[in-house]
Amino acid sequence: MAYYISQLINGICQGSIYALMAIGFSVVMGVVGLVTFTHGEVIMLGAFASYYAFAMFGNHLLVGILASFGASFLIGVVIYKVCYERFFDAPHHISLLCTIGMSMLLKNLAQILFGPNFKPLLEVLPNRFYGVGSVGISLVQLTVIATVISLSLLLFLFFNRTRWGVQLRAVCQDRKAASLMGINVKLTSMLGNCIGCGLGGVAGMLLAIYYQTLIATMGGPAGMKAFSASVLGGMTNVPSAALGGVVLGVVENLGITFTNASFRDVFAFLFLLGVLILRPEGFARKLGNRS
Amino acid sequence: MTVILEARAVCRYFGGLKAVEKVDMQINEGQIFGIIGPNGAGKTTFFNICSGVLKPTSGVILFRGEDITSLAPEVIARKGMARTFQNIKLFKYMTVLENVKIGLHVRTRAGLASAILHSRRYQDDERFADQKGREILERVGLSEFRDTLASNLPYGLQRKVEIARALALDPRILLLDEPVAGMNPMETQHLSGFIRQLQADGYTIAVIEHDMKFVMGTCDQVLVLNFGQKICEGPPARVRADQGVNEAYFGKGQLSGGGAA
Amino acid sequence: MTLAPAAKASWSRGRIRTLGLVLLLLLLLGFPQIYPKSYVMGVMCRILLYAILAGSLNIINGYSGQFNIGHAGFFCVGAYSEALFAMKIGMSFWAALPLGGIMAALIGLVVSLPTFKLRGVYLAIVTLGASELIRLVALNWEGLTGGPMGVKGIPAPVLFGLRISKATRYYYIFLFLAVLFFFVTDRVVKSRVGRAWVAIREDEAAARSLGVETARYKAMNFMYGAFWAGIAGAAFAPYFKFISPDMFNLDEGFNILSMVIIGGQGTLAGPAVGAVIVNFLTEVLRPVAQYRMVLYALLIIGMMWLRPQGLVGVSNSILAERKAWRSRRKAAAPGGAAR
Repeated sequence: MAYYISQLINGICQGSIYALMAIGFSVVMGVVGLVTFTHGEVIMLGAFASYYAFAMFGNHLLVGILASFGASFLIGVVIYKVCYERFFDAPHHISLLCTIGMSMLLKNLAQILFGPNFKPLLEVLPNRFYGVGSVGISLVQLTVIATVISLSLLLFLFFNRTRWGVQLRAVCQDRKAASLMGINVKLTSMLGNCIGCGLGGVAGMLLAIYYQTLIATMGGPAGMKAFSASVLGGMTNVPSAALGGVVLGVVENLGITFTNASFRDVFAFLFLLGVLILRPEGFARKLGNRS
Repeated sequence: MTVILEARAVCRYFGGLKAVEKVDMQINEGQIFGIIGPNGAGKTTFFNICSGVLKPTSGVILFRGEDITSLAPEVIARKGMARTFQNIKLFKYMTVLENVKIGLHVRTRAGLASAILHSRRYQDDERFADQKGREILERVGLSEFRDTLASNLPYGLQRKVEIARALALDPRILLLDEPVAGMNPMETQHLSGFIRQLQADGYTIAVIEHDMKFVMGTCDQVLVLNFGQKICEGPPARVRADQGVNEAYFGKGQLSGGGAA
Repeated sequence: MTLAPAAKASWSRGRIRTLGLVLLLLLLLGFPQIYPKSYVMGVMCRILLYAILAGSLNIINGYSGQFNIGHAGFFCVGAYSEALFAMKIGMSFWAALPLGGIMAALIGLVVSLPTFKLRGVYLAIVTLGASELIRLVALNWEGLTGGPMGVKGIPAPVLFGLRISKATRYYYIFLFLAVLFFFVTDRVVKSRVGRAWVAIREDEAAARSLGVETARYKAMNFMYGAFWAGIAGAAFAPYFKFISPDMFNLDEGFNILSMVIIGGQGTLAGPAVGAVIVNFLTEVLRPVAQYRMVLYALLIIGMMWLRPQGLVGVSNSILAERKAWRSRRKAAAPGGAAR
């Protein structure tokens, strides 16, 4: 019983990282309107940015957050310019293939730059544990959950209380109408894309801290999970994406108690398949006329 | 006079929006049946329900006595209902003949095995497709554009190609969605004559249109939709004189002159 | 315009094409005599193998417009089927080969079934996941597949008492299969089935309104593409003599995809050209192998920017469109287009 509870806690913690990944993905999808394969690589780059930041400036969480968010934000600019800007009026498969190429590019460049091996990221946070016996929650887990909640709150405030945020939501709902209102759609789209990427970057840092390791090829499974989780909300609904992330984390961690640990990544796919079969458009009401 | 296409109390709601509300319709075999109404009246939605692209929220569609409400569009097409689209859904990058050949899909049978072995069935099909395709283009007057890419044709001819492609199904009924949109008066008259010729050849035709001259001059029976509801039905003359129809199009205020005819 | 000159023109074009193909075939047949070095033969074998793999992916992506990026999975199924049939029940290569294709086709059907109603990108993700799932099954079902150790010592095919194990001899098997693939596929593509596939690609709603049973044809298309990938896998297993799950990972899937994208979609020649280019680059870039994938990635991005249908891909298709909406809006506007 204690085992299941601790797996549940693991699930919630991991789920919150997935939630952050899915939130970032949904923001990108909502604002840009095109599906991307690059989110996994953006997550990976955020992890590496924080790795080097910790090495240079010491183990301060805020340093890691700034570095990972910033690095991924900048990569977002590149991705936007290469994969989206030209193709807003083209059939969607073209930008999709472009993002596939981009993700290949980023992954292999990362392997060349950072080497192909696992890199350890030990003891960024002190190894404290709060609980009774084997049931409890570690400091790392608490920090992860707290970080995700804070960032989500910040995002919510941004979307609802700032001018840029409202513009972003307008562009999400109807690009034409937004541009007719005088909103610079191109710049806003790019900003939305970069914010989504930045959030993905922080998620990457959290993954690295949680697993105490990172590797240049971690992008693939991460991207898959971001995608699977956000499908729950029809790809563009942020709160549903967050929920999807948490559910995925719990399902995954409870699932591997019954099967092999190497099947971990399969659960994301099965979860995705389940949502797609049951309700392809997701469980949230559609925001706008994205189709 | 047999009823070929019938709608009974068809409703289609999109959330709170009542796009089509309790519409009854009966099209007799051999008629040219017009559906008119202001923009947004639900005409194309209604067509989409008839041809299976959309499922109604309630109500039934009967085609030659058979309930087709829940059938897929390709099944309905096979049963003899062909249609064209408001925004012209031609295969832009195929030639005119190739477009028509796709229309002949339901009249040919060769499958994967026949294709690989170049069996008798395959050869017959290819010959039939080519021959029939040319025949149809000949009949419609598009032979000289046979090998032109569909997107390179002027708008009016593209509409004709779409109709030719629909005819390739050898349908019992033809549903045309705004066939003369964007045409000049001469082209419109020509198409009107063409549709009446099709009627003489035995086809039943349902037309959605805005062009009043065309509708009044071509159709035997007209149904008027407004805000998803049927507000009038009858021969063109009666519809033209109807008060409700005039109000729907021209309004009730001063500018409309109190119901201009 | 009279019929006679047009007929004569197309007659000579068709004749030239056939002549060109016959010459190519003769060249390929005689190739081992010209260049018997086993390294070169190895490269040629790879090119022919990938011509089939890329070609079969092109059937799915280029002809019916479905978005499959998990082709490595079908390749895997074919390879493992042949290896296991040959080693566990001693089946002959010539029987296991078509069986490998059939197994892959069945998996193709299973993958395509839940996806009929899904939009393009969802299908892509499902194919990706399916490919990974297949690999994970091969990795974890140790009792059947030997797990991460793979299957070793796959027996070589025997033809008329002759064991075919050297690249120089195996080359003819690959050549035969590649020629068979292109010959059969050419026939399929130029038939009612091929037309239905292209109609589905160009405008699925219009196709349905014309009676094309899109669900059935999409499934058929998937199965056909998967079948040939399975054949390629079944031929590959005894050639390489060893297979393991990580030979069929996502990178391999992207490898095949890049051949289709670079070489061309929607034509028969496209994937073959892509297979030649990519494998040629692989050999040329061996000293800097890491940068090879970077180059492919840049080529893919470049293709999307400049020529989305690929080098020798079909130009008359939505696959080649980079500015779809504007041209569509022009045609749809009343009084638009050339008047």
